[in-house]
Amino acid sequence: MAGTPLEKIRNIGITAHIDAGKTTTTERILYYTGMSHRIGEVHEGNTTTDYMEQERERGITITSAAVTCSWKNYQINIIDTPGHIDFNIEVNRSLRVLDGAIFIIEGVAGVQPQSETNWRLADRYNVPRIVFINKLDRTGADFFRAVDSLKEKLGIVPLSLQLPIGIEDKFVGVVDLVEMKAIVWEGGELGAKYHDEPIPAELEEQAREYRQNLLDTALSVDDAAMEEYFENGDVSVETLKRCIKAGTISGAFRPVLCGTAFKNKGVQPLLDAVLDYLPSPVDVPGIKVAAEEGEDEHADRRIIKADPNAPFAGLAFKIINDKYGTLTFVRVYAGTLKSGDTVLNTTKGHRERIGRMFQMHADKRQEIKEVSAGDIAAFVGLKDTGTGDTLASPEDPVILERMAFPVPVIDISVEPKTKESIEKMSIGLQKLAGEDPSLRLRTDQETGQTILSGMGELHLEIIIDRLKREYNVEANIGAPQVAYRETITRPYTETYTHKKQTGGAGQFAEVKIVFEPLERNQGVQFENAVVGGAVPREYIPAVEKGIKTQSETGVLAGFPTVDFKATLVDGKYHDVDSSALAFEIASKAAFRDGMKKASPIILEPVMDVEVTTPQDHVGDVVGDLNRRRGMIQSQESTGSTVIVRAHVPLKEMFGYISDLRSMTKGRASFTMQFHHYDPLPRNLADEIMAKSA
Amino acid sequence: MDSPRLHWMRGRQEEGPGVPRTLEWIGCDDAGEAIARVVRIRGPVSTGWRQYWAVALDEEARVVELRPTPPEGAGWLAYIGGQVVGRAALPLQAVRTAEAALGAD
Ligand SMILES: Nc1nc2c(ncn2[C@@H]2O[C@H](COP(=O)(O)OP(=O)(O)O)[C@@H](O)[C@H]2O)c(=O)[nH]1
Repeated sequence: MAGTPLEKIRNIGITAHIDAGKTTTTERILYYTGMSHRIGEVHEGNTTTDYMEQERERGITITSAAVTCSWKNYQINIIDTPGHIDFNIEVNRSLRVLDGAIFIIEGVAGVQPQSETNWRLADRYNVPRIVFINKLDRTGADFFRAVDSLKEKLGIVPLSLQLPIGIEDKFVGVVDLVEMKAIVWEGGELGAKYHDEPIPAELEEQAREYRQNLLDTALSVDDAAMEEYFENGDVSVETLKRCIKAGTISGAFRPVLCGTAFKNKGVQPLLDAVLDYLPSPVDVPGIKVAAEEGEDEHADRRIIKADPNAPFAGLAFKIINDKYGTLTFVRVYAGTLKSGDTVLNTTKGHRERIGRMFQMHADKRQEIKEVSAGDIAAFVGLKDTGTGDTLASPEDPVILERMAFPVPVIDISVEPKTKESIEKMSIGLQKLAGEDPSLRLRTDQETGQTILSGMGELHLEIIIDRLKREYNVEANIGAPQVAYRETITRPYTETYTHKKQTGGAGQFAEVKIVFEPLERNQGVQFENAVVGGAVPREYIPAVEKGIKTQSETGVLAGFPTVDFKATLVDGKYHDVDSSALAFEIASKAAFRDGMKKASPIILEPVMDVEVTTPQDHVGDVVGDLNRRRGMIQSQESTGSTVIVRAHVPLKEMFGYISDLRSMTKGRASFTMQFHHYDPLPRNLADEIMAKSA
Repeated sequence: MDSPRLHWMRGRQEEGPGVPRTLEWIGCDDAGEAIARVVRIRGPVSTGWRQYWAVALDEEARVVELRPTPPEGAGWLAYIGGQVVGRAALPLQAVRTAEAALGAD
């Protein structure tokens, strides 16, 4: 649907507590939007099997990162939002690329703890939302109680745009409070017909009461609408919709609709509400360019507006390897891109040629020739563009997201269940690491084990699961461990001579290396300061390689050694017996001996933890964080909830999620990300060294 | 729907950046006489040396402190003459409160 005017594009996500009906609702949306093209076929009498076939197809496609569909000449891009906090970065990124969301809750249980977590995340990005109360056909469903739970648990102003007609197995349709009419479905099957009719007499009074509340709330965001009301005693549908949209975008209130996705009731009006109330790319402020290195995250920065005629700028938000190859999903923020164009990957600093571009539909991939501001497309065959990279026109090489190096703080060892799949496992893991910037792979020099590092336990579990499903490799994994680091605290100069005389050719190399500590986050640096050819140039790379490889396995407990500099200052060689290998061996040994004398220490990852808790549990939460060696940074209260921020060593955060749940009866949630490394307290370091010895 | 018995018009506007927001609605009778007002409660407001939890405009549009602090969720005051006759979360509700109070006299 290239060429859809910007005002008619909606980029939305669908979020829900697990089991609330996200999958079913998405499927129905794809079904009904697909049907609007194919009404003819339906009249020709599709059999149930056909439906099943299509369902299956769809079941596959909706796991895509973004599906495009159309409703009443609008284009809706549905962007998949991963639902778990371990994926902080991924969730955050997908929340950034969408302009609005459907938030599904259940008609029986109402708002559940995990819905609260998702809601707060969406709050942080000011994502406009409409709420869909699903499963009204289930026994025990209660629309009004579910609306109350929105008020109580989320502290928001719910704005009912509908009332249910009947409930549980008698649920047949909804009262539309905007247009004051009833919408009734003629059956519960897929594709059931529906029609408008007058509001049933027994609901008239309730409808009038709720409509008054709708007017009271909605008009309060628009003074001109208030005047229209004072003038006429009511407002036009157009005015009312304008007010609802404005308040939805500002977050003054959250429209609430209802239905049952499973029994096919309420989905079409939900789609209408997406068009009427969620913003188009031009209704939102635009995207801020990334902060410069070291600049305050919250500082005022340039905003890129959705203008198709501006220089191109887009953000790669998801990479998927499927049977067709690598697909890079990009949200376009400005400009227009045609296949064959060349753009700059401003994050990595190289050029990319745009080959074929697609939009993914429920039942097909549609090739498109150009894509413009506000839209989403999947690019095939980009050379080296990862998630979070910005693609931009060379004319205006902006960066939309700073490459956050998400520090992988949890290690697990992985080995294939069968020897034969060693090769397959290594290929699979490398591919997966290529898709996911927060995943690292290394080999322990001493044990030869493959170590996988990621952002959290669940993150790694999912990687192992994908290894099985996508690469057919079953793996045994070790227990999750904190990814400690080692470093040194004072300089030391080590000279090492490697000499071996075994029969024929001997081995000889001598290196003199200065090891010095660096500030945090400087990694491993190597410098060659040899003068006069004491070590011939051709052997220098071998010395560097020896240091870098050996630094992966630290001298205290085998953790990677970081934040030091190794300077090769002198050495000796032998015309016949020296080789690159001999120099590599010598530098490895110099590292092992030298590091021990440079006062090595163990560093532990300290996390920036943010707990969102109801007011009445703040005391417990803070006390518990203190017991976990946490340093409270701030407490901020917003209404009935408090956000506590603290720096806590990762080691102390194992099992936190369940402790927090039981401490707060499931009402608090937390997110955490790596903040910095701190020296591990002496007693704990001793423990770890004893274990690794 | 009860049709309003007063004619309501915009009163003072909030100054500052963005779309100006109406701070009060003035209800006039058929003769154009201002009879009732509904006023947005604002706060907390900081004056540099003191914080006020809630303030509103009085008849001369001076900012006055409200004491005791209105309960949470009260966004608007309904006045008739100089007298507060009720509070409401939303302006249209405050308008109805004012009109109801007029009817009760
Ligand atoms: N009775 C009823 N069941 C539903 C409805 N929507 C979904 N379900 C069922 O609830 C379960 C979870 O639904 P699903 O869409 O997979 O939820 P998700 O985990 O949010 O994606 C499935 O068994 C669905 O068939 C509904 O409207 N009514």
